[in-house]
Amino acid sequence: MDASQPVLPASISELVQALLAFMAQDGCTDAQFDALALRLFAHQYENNESFRRFCQGRGATPRRVHGWRDIPAVPINGFKELTLSCQPAASCERVFMTSGTTRGDVKGRHFHPTLAVYDASMTRNFARRFMQGARSIRMGILFPDESAMANSSLAHYLALAVREFGTADSRYFVSENGLDSAALYETLGAVERSGEPYALLGASYSFVHIIDELQRRGQRFRLPPGSRLLDTGGYKGHSRELPMEDFYALLSATLGVAREHCINMYGMTELSTQFYDSGNAVVPSVKSGPHWIRSRVIDPLSGREVAGGEHGILVHCDLANFNSVTTILTEDVGVETDGGFLLLGRAEGAQAKGCSLAVEEFLQAAKA
Amino acid sequence: MKTLHATAGYLPGLRAEHVQWQTLHFESGQAAVEVTVPVLTAAQMKALALRVKAASQAHLKTLSVSHIIEIVDRAVARLLDPADPYRQQADRLLPVISGYDAEMVRLGLTSFFRSFRAAQLHRFVAEDFANPKLLDEFQPAAKGGAIRAFGPELLVQVWAGNVPGLPLWSLVCGLLVKAGSNGKLPSAEHLFAGLFARLLAEVHPPLAECLAIVWWKGGEEPIADALFAQADTVLAYGSNESLQQIRSRLPVTTRFLPYGHKLGFGVVGRTALDAQRAPATARLAAHDVVRYDQQGCYSPHVFYVQRGGKVSPHEFAQYLATELANLQRRFPRRAAALEDTSAIAAWRQSSELKALAAEGGELIGAAESPWAVAYADSPQPLAPTAAHRNIQVVALDQLDDVIPLVAPYRAFLQTASVAAEPAELFRMAQLLGQAGVTRIAAIGAMTAPEAGWHHDGRFNLLDLVRICEIEQSAERAADRIAPYADEESP
Repeated sequence: MDASQPVLPASISELVQALLAFMAQDGCTDAQFDALALRLFAHQYENNESFRRFCQGRGATPRRVHGWRDIPAVPINGFKELTLSCQPAASCERVFMTSGTTRGDVKGRHFHPTLAVYDASMTRNFARRFMQGARSIRMGILFPDESAMANSSLAHYLALAVREFGTADSRYFVSENGLDSAALYETLGAVERSGEPYALLGASYSFVHIIDELQRRGQRFRLPPGSRLLDTGGYKGHSRELPMEDFYALLSATLGVAREHCINMYGMTELSTQFYDSGNAVVPSVKSGPHWIRSRVIDPLSGREVAGGEHGILVHCDLANFNSVTTILTEDVGVETDGGFLLLGRAEGAQAKGCSLAVEEFLQAAKA
Repeated sequence: MKTLHATAGYLPGLRAEHVQWQTLHFESGQAAVEVTVPVLTAAQMKALALRVKAASQAHLKTLSVSHIIEIVDRAVARLLDPADPYRQQADRLLPVISGYDAEMVRLGLTSFFRSFRAAQLHRFVAEDFANPKLLDEFQPAAKGGAIRAFGPELLVQVWAGNVPGLPLWSLVCGLLVKAGSNGKLPSAEHLFAGLFARLLAEVHPPLAECLAIVWWKGGEEPIADALFAQADTVLAYGSNESLQQIRSRLPVTTRFLPYGHKLGFGVVGRTALDAQRAPATARLAAHDVVRYDQQGCYSPHVFYVQRGGKVSPHEFAQYLATELANLQRRFPRRAAALEDTSAIAAWRQSSELKALAAEGGELIGAAESPWAVAYADSPQPLAPTAAHRNIQVVALDQLDDVIPLVAPYRAFLQTASVAAEPAELFRMAQLLGQAGVTRIAAIGAMTAPEAGWHHDGRFNLLDLVRICEIEQSAERAADRIAPYADEESP
């Protein structure tokens, strides 16, 4: 451990060590997953008053929770309303905040007493799912760097990607002045000529801007074999909405990377682990995560799992969330499939069908 | 499952085989309806508009207002007759299309149609025209000279929402000012407007071509433009975003009357909270919540309840929950799609989280219950719930405390219900009106505006007409050239 690492209480560092060892395994049995999930639940129930009251409201206590499926899922709004941290918030190494797309200025906060677990989760999973065995690759990042966005989990994720897996000539193309497209296209041109594989990673909306701009200029690239793309995060009103099929068709056509190598990462500020697909030749693609995260698809009102093949809302139990809450209720619609789940988009606030103002419209208006 | 079929729209002068049709599928419980809706070309849309204009010139503008009222009254009498085939069709199909409980729809329609009988229609006209004959002929003006009111040549009405029968308000407004009307069906209830147009044509055949009911898919701008180009007045309901889109497509010379989505609330004073009145008030409040599952612009989302009565705000919330549970047995809530249930779940969870974060809050209602009452012990600003029988109750020390909580949302205010003694009612009405409220109703009557109400605080008939006046100078000048004019007189 280097000197900048915070000093954790002995009980916490013991838990962290157990967790890191668990993540270092090649996989786990159901019983092993449950055992660690229950240990973390007991820890969070004990040390987080907001979470304990939330559980009590649902009649869930360590005595009555027998497996990861029994752990009450905290709605992601809980990260806005409550302080979900076992360690005192002030003593945490880093806090990641949501971008606050729907609730105006209220941001969800995810406290990390140490980033050791987040970083181990990210690198181990990224090595397998994105790098696919390659040691390093030249990277271009379509997102601001960590110093510009210290509270962005995505900025940290991308910084880790560059630090751990990027070659020395990797670089960022987004600054406070926006996307430096001249530099980007120059680099892509040079890469094309070099024949060396290249990886472009960033927010999905940045790729939409690039697609639009390249189409306008009538320009396209053919990145060398072995190149790959990683997009994440949807469009969030930053660019035009593009149907997924069109997005990957255009992405592949404008950058010359086969859709099998256009990988989408599904991550959330409220989690410490990411999901990936194995390319987007077919959309929606199957998303899956490493052995330390499990997902269920539930009916949002009853909280019960829906029958296989039915649409519902995704719940994730992420053991790397050792300090906040392992189990979160998302606002994402999904359906369970072999080997993972399909992500079918965000459960948008219901459209106003009547003449009464809908929540979404109200929030839009309140922001304006 | 039984599948019913219906054809939406009303296209006088267009033959069905010359029109393209699209089939929409609706399902509710044990029944399904296939509704075919017309998809017109821009040329057909224009021809239809011209036909409606010409027919209303010949057959509608020539009728007196009293005669129009008599015709509408005959049509409405048939809608009030349970044995009438038009009424039976409405009772059969509207619950399936809208998903609402059939009995709730039946009762709702009957009470709604009663507002359109002759006596109520006369009141409606008298609300806006001290002298209703202005709509028929020139009448002396108080300042001198004479005035007459003319309705639009072509009134285009764009409807929204799924509250059954709602287009009747603006359809009748158009008829009362003798406007030929071309209505665009709402996205979620395609049936009633066409049904009314056919009934009207049957009751008074010369009116057969004075109304047309059309439809177009969102995004079909050229078709919409073909219609808008013919309109002198466009009246539209919808979200501010869709109203903005319509407005941006209209010539600046076209009068535009937008009715945006609104947010209702109730105020319960401590005098209404004794042991006898509180349960009754809660029962009425529950009716306002249940009727069309809070989809109306007048539907309540928050009840502000004053502390200090015999029954506390928290107890009132519990009474309200009990009444919602009772009404669920009588009028089961309609099924909700995943997008609705996740919105409901999100609202309930956020209420639950707020209750965890602040003392004294509570979410009443089991996770799967079709209704829920969120109780807040501290002041909460007005905000929409997820509707579908999810209601917020907020405790206040003083009724006046409600004003700063609702005033920031002025643009979204319309109906407030008030339960308070008379002096308090008028005092609160003064404050609420100043804050932007345009309609104050009794609790229990929020969803049934009375005949002649001023929707969103506007004069719904006056807004449609233009006045033509004969000035005194013209009268005097005419006198001077009359054959019987006396050369000597000035």
